Amino acid sequence: MAKFHPDIDLLTEYAAGIMPLAQSACISAHLNYCPQCQRQTARLQDLGAVLFEGLTPEPVGEAQLEAVLARLDEQPPLSYSRAGSVAGGRLPALLQRLMNGDFSELVWKKITSSLRISYVKTGDPNYEFALYHIKAGGRIPEHKHRGSEMTLVLQGGFSDAAGSYHEGDFIYRELDDSHAPTALQTEDCICLAVLDAPLRFTGWQYRWMNSFLQLRAG
Amino acid sequence: MRRAFVEDRESGSVTSWQGSSGRRTDEWSECLTLIASKEDRAAFTRFFRHFAPLIKAFALSGSTMSATHADELVQEVMLKVWQKARGFDPERAAASTWVYTIARNCRTDMFRRLQKFNTPLAAEDFTPDQEPAEPFAMLQTRRSRDRIHELMASLPPDQAQILAKVYMEGKSHAEAAAELDLPLGTVKSRVRLAIQKLQIQIDR
Repeated sequence: MAKFHPDIDLLTEYAAGIMPLAQSACISAHLNYCPQCQRQTARLQDLGAVLFEGLTPEPVGEAQLEAVLARLDEQPPLSYSRAGSVAGGRLPALLQRLMNGDFSELVWKKITSSLRISYVKTGDPNYEFALYHIKAGGRIPEHKHRGSEMTLVLQGGFSDAAGSYHEGDFIYRELDDSHAPTALQTEDCICLAVLDAPLRFTGWQYRWMNSFLQLRAG
Repeated sequence: MRRAFVEDRESGSVTSWQGSSGRRTDEWSECLTLIASKEDRAAFTRFFRHFAPLIKAFALSGSTMSATHADELVQEVMLKVWQKARGFDPERAAASTWVYTIARNCRTDMFRRLQKFNTPLAAEDFTPDQEPAEPFAMLQTRRSRDRIHELMASLPPDQAQILAKVYMEGKSHAEAAAELDLPLGTVKSRVRLAIQKLQIQIDR
């Protein structure tokens, strides 16, 4: 069970539907690993429902009712079926769908000998949504964040100065937090990272790479 | 029933919290069950008359949506109510929470359409794959809902205002801060305080 969770601020933004799309996808994926946060989110949604019921009703004309009644026989739009995807493993259906399958179907870009990145399209114009593959025992060079970064461990785990993270764990960092995560020795680590500004390597050996790390939102 | 009515009058609050009694909520659950099992148009009409005005109010709060789009949203949500009624489980959720969730999702999708997002995802796709269904947790959820209703009246106005901005107007914490001319930290702490007062936070 996940040990690191989004805080109540993030869950509120998620439940109220005001969180950017890419970040919402990351929180939603965490909820798949975390019944506790699911319950918390359900309560936050109940709050929304209570506020909704308390609104002052706006008059709606009979014509609107007639219009809807006339459309009841319409065929409902085809919606994405989750049934097939669950068999594909433990990955949240939403991620499988964005990835068009599993990790093997992604295009990976080699960044260092132990780090590969695959950029996934979500349609969110402001956030990069990427999967990081870190080789077992591999280290991501020390880097900073100009903006915010959500990380969700999907496979294996990693550690940094603040702790050790495993499948389902969620980490949120803001502005200028510097860290150097190292994957666990036993297994390759795959994480989802959602960023609103590119990361910046701080060590002199790696700084030249910064110009190649543009934010790939969209 | 009569007693509930008198209490409502006496509280004299700006908003009346309809649906706080179990009976009312059950009426809407029954409607949904009738729609699901019998495609009952009369039940749907009752449901529409009660919820469509709330959906419209939800659409118009924050006044970023035009009246035309608000009407469109009402139609879209009510059509979804008809199409998805079979997925409604009265044991799991109150009818109003179920409708609110559909309305919230439709509004998110509409905003994304208007902003020309090119995304394969609809807001409802973000629902986690399986929801926890332990009976104990569900009983707690029901109690928590009733408590939110009761405690809402005692919420300080500044906290109630922020909740309305975030949940009903769909403003992010940052947008709410800009609009109310408050530091972001103040907005966040007011939301958090309100959530504490309403006893929504689960201890870890």
